[in-house]
Amino acid sequence: MKKSPWWTIGWRNMGRSRRRTYITAAALAGGYFSIVVLVGLSRGIVAEMIANGTDLIAGQLQVHAPDYLPDKSIYETFGGVDRASIDSLLTIVESDPDISAAAPRVYAGGLIGSDNFTVPGQLMGVDVDRESSVSRIVRVDEGRLPRPGTNEAVLGGEMARQLEVAIGDELVVVAPSVDGSMGNDLFTVVGIYNSGIVELDATTVIVSIEALQYLIFLDEGQIHEIAAVVLDPWDAEDAADRLNPLLQSSGHEAEAVPWTELRPELVEYANLVSASEFIIVIVVFGMAIFGVANTMLMATYERRREFALLLALGASPWGVIKSVLAEAIALGFISILAGVVFTAPFLIWWHVAPLDLSFASGGFSMSGSYVSPVLRVEYPWSAIVVASVSLFGTAVLAATYPAIRSARLPAADTLAGR
Amino acid sequence: MKFSWSKAAPLVIAATSIGSPLTAQETAAEIVDRIDQMWRGESSRAAMEMTVVTEHWTRTIEMTAVSLGSTHSLIRILAPRRDAGTATLKVDNDIWNYLPRVDRTIKIPSSMMGSSWMGSHMTNDDLVKESRIIEDYDIDVSFSGVRDGTDVWEFTLTPKEEAAVIWGSIVEEVRKDDLMPTWVRYFDERGDLVRTLTFDDYRTMGGRLIPAHMTMIPIDKPEESTSFRYNELEFGIGVEESFFSLRRLRSER
Repeated sequence: MKKSPWWTIGWRNMGRSRRRTYITAAALAGGYFSIVVLVGLSRGIVAEMIANGTDLIAGQLQVHAPDYLPDKSIYETFGGVDRASIDSLLTIVESDPDISAAAPRVYAGGLIGSDNFTVPGQLMGVDVDRESSVSRIVRVDEGRLPRPGTNEAVLGGEMARQLEVAIGDELVVVAPSVDGSMGNDLFTVVGIYNSGIVELDATTVIVSIEALQYLIFLDEGQIHEIAAVVLDPWDAEDAADRLNPLLQSSGHEAEAVPWTELRPELVEYANLVSASEFIIVIVVFGMAIFGVANTMLMATYERRREFALLLALGASPWGVIKSVLAEAIALGFISILAGVVFTAPFLIWWHVAPLDLSFASGGFSMSGSYVSPVLRVEYPWSAIVVASVSLFGTAVLAATYPAIRSARLPAADTLAGR
Repeated sequence: MKFSWSKAAPLVIAATSIGSPLTAQETAAEIVDRIDQMWRGESSRAAMEMTVVTEHWTRTIEMTAVSLGSTHSLIRILAPRRDAGTATLKVDNDIWNYLPRVDRTIKIPSSMMGSSWMGSHMTNDDLVKESRIIEDYDIDVSFSGVRDGTDVWEFTLTPKEEAAVIWGSIVEEVRKDDLMPTWVRYFDERGDLVRTLTFDDYRTMGGRLIPAHMTMIPIDKPEESTSFRYNELEFGIGVEESFFSLRRLRSER
């Protein structure tokens, strides 16, 4: 099939006013850049919120006894009599390809007392080695983590302030045991953490899992929770779906719950942000479309005698339209190329080296998630596709009106200069 | 009559230690107030058992309790072994627990006053609340007559507007012939029944007729309960306020 000459004409026409072509392409490429970077940034903020909401303490996936949530009763344990049963559970959880680490936990509510003050607190018994690869809360700012099996405790900075204790001081810990007695013991403060969430820092005390099991009279195979890390948080639901039959078939009365069920408000926020992405596309290309239309109007106006001549020589109006649209498509193509060339390195650089704004703003907590003053971008793959399509669409749409105008020129009058 | 049966056990005994029968002229408020006054300033020593039944465990705690009026009490656990020696001191609105295992005393923070005392269905608040009935409640006779073969009054206590109390209303039944309570029902502000306290095993202890056994049932968990049984009881033991000290909390065995 013979190639239509209009494509060639359209392509060549771009070279007639190179400066204008460059400026128009730059505007479109700038729009492309803005969309990709803005969407990448908003997804980065969402990813940061999800990460902060899950990797501080919750994990992206948790395993509990079926009735543990929402009351978190200390009686709702799972596991077995000895430590081996926890290890077998951890093996099952970590067998999932999306799960990179898992840690067992025991919780209890109780009173934490220093010499002069007493505050209510939540005790969190952790396997220190495993917990370090699951949650950020065990990254102590001062001191160290408790050694396994010892009566050592790590407090939040806020609780330490309220109790007026420092590292090395003694705490009285009282917690109702599962047999109804009042478990009580002395613990030594060995570390202090600051999560950024004051409510957490004021209430959560980290001790070794063995010490807490002993305090509240649990067997060493009984736990309340396994928290697991899913590298891409959005895979957590699938991982939970895969784990549940495995847990069932292993005979454990336990179920896996993804963070999306534990923190539905984070999912809602993510959905809201992604729903608002189209607004960015509309605004950016909505502005671009008029600029491009204006340029194309100018370009076609300048060539009106030429179009008139073509029409007078017998070219079909459709051919004229095709030549103008071909020019717009070629322009779109060049713009995307330019957009990608400019955007890709910037995006990669920002992704690799997130912008730390801590000099300008402190971190803050929002709906229970700590938001650090670091702006990072995610690669917004779907937005890259949407931006490319929108850019083409904008170029073609902007050219449609000038194209139709050109095709409907009154040939004789135009050539006569009337 | 002091009908704050939610109080600590020794306080409850004192409250139920009613001597003379009611005269016809007395109004419900006078009955309540007379007993309220009788009860104040009273000291007692009791040996008792508290049995707590929960969905997960059942345990009986043996304890001794010394009290002075409604403001001071010292409760010490004798058994089971795991809790033996644990003691609770109440002076006015404060509660301290002594933990013998670690030889430390901790003061219960105000934010924990609503939580369980020793795993029972009583809260720390139940221990310290000591509002005087006639000051905080309007008292009406809501029933008078024979019920289940016993001639009884039923009093309804409605909190006065300015009263800082946790109950929406309290309804209690009292036998006319000996002024012994048979049950008390606690309602929340919405008028829903929250818990019931029933009395039985009326007997003379320390020279007074008292219900030696009482059972509290939380309505939301009807299969659970906390009950008290008095094994020994003395009144007028001559303790002073100075007896109820932190030093005593730690040292007395």
